[in-house]
Amino acid sequence: MYLHIGVILLVMAAAYTAANRLKLSVELRMLSATLAGGITGAFFHTPPLMQLGRHMIEGSFTYLDVMLVFVTATIFIEIMATSGSVNFVVRGIVTTFFRVRMLALFLLMFVILIPGALTGAGSVSVLTVGAPCALALGYLGVSRGRSAAILFIIAGLSAAAPPVNIWAMIVSAGTAIPYVGFELPLGIPVLLLGTFTMLTLGWRQEQRLSLEQVLAEMPPVPEGMAWWRVALPFGVFFGLVVIGRVLPFTIPIMGLPLQFVLSAAVALAVSPGPINILTLSRDTVKKLTPLLATMAVVGAMQQVMTVTGVKGLISFAVISVPLIMLYALLVFIIPASEGVLTYGGAAIIGIPLVWFLDSRGLHATVVIAGLSLLWPLGDGLPPTALIGRLTMMVTEYRESYISFLKKTWIPWLAITLVGILMVIFSAKLAFLVEWSM
Amino acid sequence: MTRTAIYKMSLAAIFGLVSGIAGYQFYEHRHYQAPIIAGPGVTRVVKLHEYCPSLKGTPADTDVFFLEGAGDGGTVLLVANTHSNEPAARLTAEIFLENCTIQKGRLIVIPQFNNSGSRNTKPGDGYPLYFEIPTAWGKKKFRMGNRNASPLDSWPDPDVYIHYPDRSLLSYLDVRNTNRTWPGRPDGPLMERVCFAAMELIRNEQVDVAIDIHGAETMFPVTNCIVAPEKSSRIATMVQLMTQAMEGFTVNVYPSPQNFRGLSHREIGDYSNAMPFLLEAPIPFLDQPTGPKTEELLLTGRDPLLLSLARQGKLFVPYDEYGWPMKNRVGQHCSVILEIMNQLSQASPERAVVAENVPRYKDVLEHDVGYYYHNPATADPARVYPN
Ligand SMILES: [Zn+2]
Repeated sequence: MYLHIGVILLVMAAAYTAANRLKLSVELRMLSATLAGGITGAFFHTPPLMQLGRHMIEGSFTYLDVMLVFVTATIFIEIMATSGSVNFVVRGIVTTFFRVRMLALFLLMFVILIPGALTGAGSVSVLTVGAPCALALGYLGVSRGRSAAILFIIAGLSAAAPPVNIWAMIVSAGTAIPYVGFELPLGIPVLLLGTFTMLTLGWRQEQRLSLEQVLAEMPPVPEGMAWWRVALPFGVFFGLVVIGRVLPFTIPIMGLPLQFVLSAAVALAVSPGPINILTLSRDTVKKLTPLLATMAVVGAMQQVMTVTGVKGLISFAVISVPLIMLYALLVFIIPASEGVLTYGGAAIIGIPLVWFLDSRGLHATVVIAGLSLLWPLGDGLPPTALIGRLTMMVTEYRESYISFLKKTWIPWLAITLVGILMVIFSAKLAFLVEWSM
Repeated sequence: MTRTAIYKMSLAAIFGLVSGIAGYQFYEHRHYQAPIIAGPGVTRVVKLHEYCPSLKGTPADTDVFFLEGAGDGGTVLLVANTHSNEPAARLTAEIFLENCTIQKGRLIVIPQFNNSGSRNTKPGDGYPLYFEIPTAWGKKKFRMGNRNASPLDSWPDPDVYIHYPDRSLLSYLDVRNTNRTWPGRPDGPLMERVCFAAMELIRNEQVDVAIDIHGAETMFPVTNCIVAPEKSSRIATMVQLMTQAMEGFTVNVYPSPQNFRGLSHREIGDYSNAMPFLLEAPIPFLDQPTGPKTEELLLTGRDPLLLSLARQGKLFVPYDEYGWPMKNRVGQHCSVILEIMNQLSQASPERAVVAENVPRYKDVLEHDVGYYYHNPATADPARVYPN
């Protein structure tokens, strides 16, 4: 039965491994696998050779809307960071709350959560607020290794946090389940797990840096910086979202990309120092190119795997596993799929999985929310280990990668447990979706 | 020139060539016309924008065919290709358009309801661009479309789609989904205007019965069925019993959920006097665990992976080596539609709609779908409508 699909799958895996040996980046590895799979498929006329190019190009458009949100949101956050807002806030938290240590940790958690929540990418959190937050954590007595672990875990949670969760968007789009009602099913576990992480990793005061030492290491805040300059751009963004919900039939449809662009314009206008928007946009897009390329390649790979039958075969395998075993396997499969395929795991495994669980009577929205807590963990796993490596770089943690990963085990376990339980008891948690809407 | 520059330029050239060819294929697909021949029963053809002027000149405008009988009676509306990736709908509508004559009452047919969606593709899902139905005079080629309208015609999408007027929150994609934008409004997003035009048609033409034809996955619980709200449920149940007893196939009846808004079977009933019915026939091609997404799978519905899952009891329809050929799906739709008309005529004789020369289930099984399509090359050009 469909032996040749297995052959195509093997060829794809071989191409991926070969590209890995050649030290190509993850998006080029996936592109190699996609091309190899498509060409092998063409031998069986699935797809016909003259349609292969069309399938690759068409597939690369699958997540165009997500990519637009990603770019515009990141430019917005980058403007905020460049204007000195982030340093201003972190300095504010540290100097005001250094006596109430737990409160300071809690507020820092929010600072790390916001950029990833708005962009859907934990890497944006790490890149924009990672360095000052790591310094602040050091001041609060958290060791370098634990600061790195905190940053990695909270950045992962920020990517899962609403309003933008790219894994959930990919799975929702592929299963025709509305990307709606995720605010509480994602927001509550993210806040609980984030607080838990801060408590477990940040509780012990292992060192003591002086306030002067920390402030000296942080870049200075430009003159004229004020709270309203930080609050206004966020106010504009959330204001646009809220007014669209309150007056949906009078306000013209803007869409998230335009809402982010408008907020970015406001951020630019109220920045105390001048910002060269052209340079900033160019640098941001340059930084994002690997991730954007990943999204484009994931779409192409998804389409080639569908037209060759490989995705169908994987779905078949997922659906044929007994339900109990499936739950146990998810603990490993979900993060591992992210480690190998970045967002591809959500497209290739997530879509059929949610389809199947939905038809078994589980609540699809809660299932997606639960799974999308697990995917960010995979950003710390090889071969890509994207966010894990970024975190080590930003926090200047110089021990081995494994020793960094080991420091995350308690929150890792907690997140896995919460995610899987949300999947299993999704029907009982459906009220969270209703309360969100 | 350095080696890197040569390398980069050749990569750019290859990419340019591949995307050029793909772009040409997409352009052809978007502009391809599959002709519809107005059969002996068609008395006039209008554009949907007659019922909502703001549709005029947009890619969402589409043809509305009237088949008017000599005798007084009721009016039945047939809506096909609400989702253009469920093409049994359009194939069924064309059988009616090319063959049906009306004795009493009126039949109105919109064969390509989401015109923009039919000229769009579904990125990520690897559909073929076209499929072909064999006929006595050669193959008739159709576009395989998408569930949603093209972003080229309706853009940008909102961050969430807020249904008008109910304010239910739906996925941002659903602003382009003509089975979520009912009842619509005249100045809303493009697909709301399409649905509003259809609502106006239903109200102005005093439509008694509105039938929206779809297809659904075999692993989706709501498949192979008639979805009907309370006001249509009696007729739906009668249709289920009659087709089961007389024609030997079984469709289920599902009630239309009260609070799932924007769907035709909900809003048409709530915003007009018409009784709505939504027909689902299985379409194995759309299932996740299938082999390659080929034209053959689309037409035969035959797949070994699905067969294995059927044996594990994981499908919601009967399934064996025979698959679910297009003729079975189209045949079921034909018989269900005729039986709805029959039940309407019995329930209220003054609103009767009597159709003739439409094949029933067993006829379509015997002759296959293409048997009922006429050759556009030899037809009267005035009766050929590009679509
Ligand atoms: Zn449909």
